[in-house]
Amino acid sequence: MFNRPDFRSLAGRIGLAVALAAGLPALAAAQSVTIVREVDSNNYDPHKSTARAASEVLFMMGDTLVALDPDMKTIAPGLAESWEVSEDGKTYTFHLRDDVKFCDGKPMTAEDVVYSFTRWQDPETKSPVAWRAGPLEEVVAVDDHTVEYRMSAPYSELLYQLSQSFATIIDKDNVEALGEDFGVTGFNGTGPFCWGEWTPRNKMVLTRHDDYVWGPSFYETTGPASVEEIVWQIVPEENTRTVAVLTGQSQITQYVPYIALEQLRAAPNAEVVQSDAAFWTYFFGFKIDKPTVNDAAVRQAINLAVNQEAMAEDLFFGEVQPAYSYVSQDALDWNHAIDGELLKYDPEKAAQILDEAGWTVGADGIREKDGVKLQPLAYVFAGSTWQKISEYVQAELRKVGIDLQLQPFDATIAWGKLATQEFDVFGMSFPYISSGDALNLYFRSENMPTPNRMNWDDQETDDLLEAGLTATDEAVRAESYGEVLKKVHEAAVWLPLYHEPMTIAQSSELKTVTPHNLYGCGLYKGLGIAYKE
Amino acid sequence: MIAQIVNRLVLSIPVLFGVLLLGFMLLQLVPGDPATVLAGPMAPPEVLEEIRKQMGLDQPLLVQFWAYLERMAAGDMGRSLISNKTVTSELVSAIGPTVELMVACLVWSIPLGIGMGTVAAVKRGSLLDRAIMAVSVGGVSLPIFFICLLAIQFLGVYWPIFPFIGRGGPIWTADGFMHIVLPAVSLGLIFIGPVARMTRSSVLEVLKLDHVRTARAKGLSERTVILRHGLRNALIPVVTLVGLQAGYLLGGAVVTETIFSWPGIGRLAVGAILSSDFPVAQGTILVLALAFIAINLIVDILYALLDPRVQT
Repeated sequence: MFNRPDFRSLAGRIGLAVALAAGLPALAAAQSVTIVREVDSNNYDPHKSTARAASEVLFMMGDTLVALDPDMKTIAPGLAESWEVSEDGKTYTFHLRDDVKFCDGKPMTAEDVVYSFTRWQDPETKSPVAWRAGPLEEVVAVDDHTVEYRMSAPYSELLYQLSQSFATIIDKDNVEALGEDFGVTGFNGTGPFCWGEWTPRNKMVLTRHDDYVWGPSFYETTGPASVEEIVWQIVPEENTRTVAVLTGQSQITQYVPYIALEQLRAAPNAEVVQSDAAFWTYFFGFKIDKPTVNDAAVRQAINLAVNQEAMAEDLFFGEVQPAYSYVSQDALDWNHAIDGELLKYDPEKAAQILDEAGWTVGADGIREKDGVKLQPLAYVFAGSTWQKISEYVQAELRKVGIDLQLQPFDATIAWGKLATQEFDVFGMSFPYISSGDALNLYFRSENMPTPNRMNWDDQETDDLLEAGLTATDEAVRAESYGEVLKKVHEAAVWLPLYHEPMTIAQSSELKTVTPHNLYGCGLYKGLGIAYKE
Repeated sequence: MIAQIVNRLVLSIPVLFGVLLLGFMLLQLVPGDPATVLAGPMAPPEVLEEIRKQMGLDQPLLVQFWAYLERMAAGDMGRSLISNKTVTSELVSAIGPTVELMVACLVWSIPLGIGMGTVAAVKRGSLLDRAIMAVSVGGVSLPIFFICLLAIQFLGVYWPIFPFIGRGGPIWTADGFMHIVLPAVSLGLIFIGPVARMTRSSVLEVLKLDHVRTARAKGLSERTVILRHGLRNALIPVVTLVGLQAGYLLGGAVVTETIFSWPGIGRLAVGAILSSDFPVAQGTILVLALAFIAINLIVDILYALLDPRVQT
């Protein structure tokens, strides 16, 4: 393959490389942080991706008008120093900071905010997340540093939604210059880090934005960031990710398997931090108009038959919180009045309810009623997590005579399949910032068939959700959402499984980070990432 | 010789056409929808319909296939549905690292394998022979992912000498070299076994032949006999094997690249197929097929060089 001279020069070069490698410790990497994660995003255009992987990077490359505190409840100033809400709750006036610059040095003005939100809403953009902006009528630049956000109706979620990566302020010139390649070959943002280089499915390199000083106040430093470079490296293998943190090839990640957490905690050079103010819930939902699961008794029995506590302990090593509620009981606007009524593990009662409802155990151990076997069909995502969960639930239900049929699909296909009416039960997990966020997404009748895959069609719920959404008074909002929570819990339209806390594994070379959980992005702006002195 | 190469190239054309057809059909059978991938899961049906029309997915299959061939003939492989980068640019950036990995793997494992096999043949029946064969059988039998994980465990974790995530840069830089060691070692380990075993039996075969006895009778040194008269002839089946195994190696590279997050073509193929990125998947299938054709061609040429009889 090689003729001789070539081979020799190659050997010479290898020898040189060895010498270099031995002589040079990893000096160059001193101010760089490598974050390993499982999957990449399809692009980094805030209006065109719903992937968590996109948000993780967008939070670092861009800023939003308001920021969300790690407690997931308090809104903090971001690009907007302050804001006022009109009497009728329909107009928000944001006062922007006057010292904000994009990565290319251009100052950010009200025009950019107007452009960003207009593009977000423009039907041409075909944004799948446009609904998050609320009933927006228009965004107006009053002067260079004042923006009015005018809506047709009050929208109490607005500030929370504006803190998400979808509301990132982008640069018009940059978007127009790049066209289709915006968020693919470049991105000009105002965040603590700037676009370096992206090789899809391999890594995303971000460099420090040196002028950045306008970070949210809940960070120790409001900028510039402590580290010079952040590399988001895709490592599909979960064991590799774990040892990468243990051996210092990666300094921080939120994607390590639960089984490895004990080991990471015990390791002298690693640290594990967790936050329960983290809202990501796994559940099974029932299509309440399909045979078998249209019987409330069946849905209740399913809720009673599954031991979430044992699942959290056995499958997830006690690292997750067993769930009995559809949103975390710590979330904004959770209704504490129903705390005592949540359905908890009681298999005998489950059997009793089914008996009373006329579902009798057949010869094969499966219950049936009027010749219909109790065999609901469930669509779930393929992959180790859902395989574990769904097989566990299947086994639990089998004990009370329910024969759950499982049909797993790869994530790329699953979304399409889940938009049909072919199944009785579906498995899903979702991030949310408050009760209202979750309820408005899943329980509005206009959201059928997705994301309201339960076909929960109830006028009263719609009215209450509308009341909560447009409430200008916090108490009214909490009460409306509380009512909806009570209704859907009583109807047992879901089987909640567990609330996943935000878990971050980090090298002890770094200062301990505070996990954030907006859209499941544990590192948020990345301003908390810093090497110890 | 040249006629032979031309002949082979002409023969490759129907093969290539078959690959294009197969790649096209396979992705028709995959239960994903390119329009859904492009539009995102939350897109309303009318947007989806429009995108489908734009992509020509509402046309009959034959029309789509013809359009696909036309695009390919014009050198336009389309754009990735996921990253919107051109497929050509994605392929170009992935081929380099894979070629680098292949070279880094072959450059040490083939000479070592041939060396081990020759030594084993010469010292037939000795303890050394048995040891070499034991290692070879191990190399043949262990699955590549297991070797990769062992390599990470020992050289990455117990003795953290080599990094095992990603590519540090071109191979001639210090960082690049350190990063390629573990993947190249893991991939090479599955290669040594078959090469050593084949070399051993082939050398044993050749050493029995008349011309070797003649060479010995002429009073040539044992070294010259084995290297010049034995090994050269013994290499013919080994070259075939290396050719065949290089194809197998591309398969192993898919696993190796995934485990070591190596940004090569194998990982690109897996990623594209898993994320229903059809243009990229078709592109990678085409490139892998071309690689097979090229490797076979090289094997044929080497054959002719090693054994003049093949040329006729």
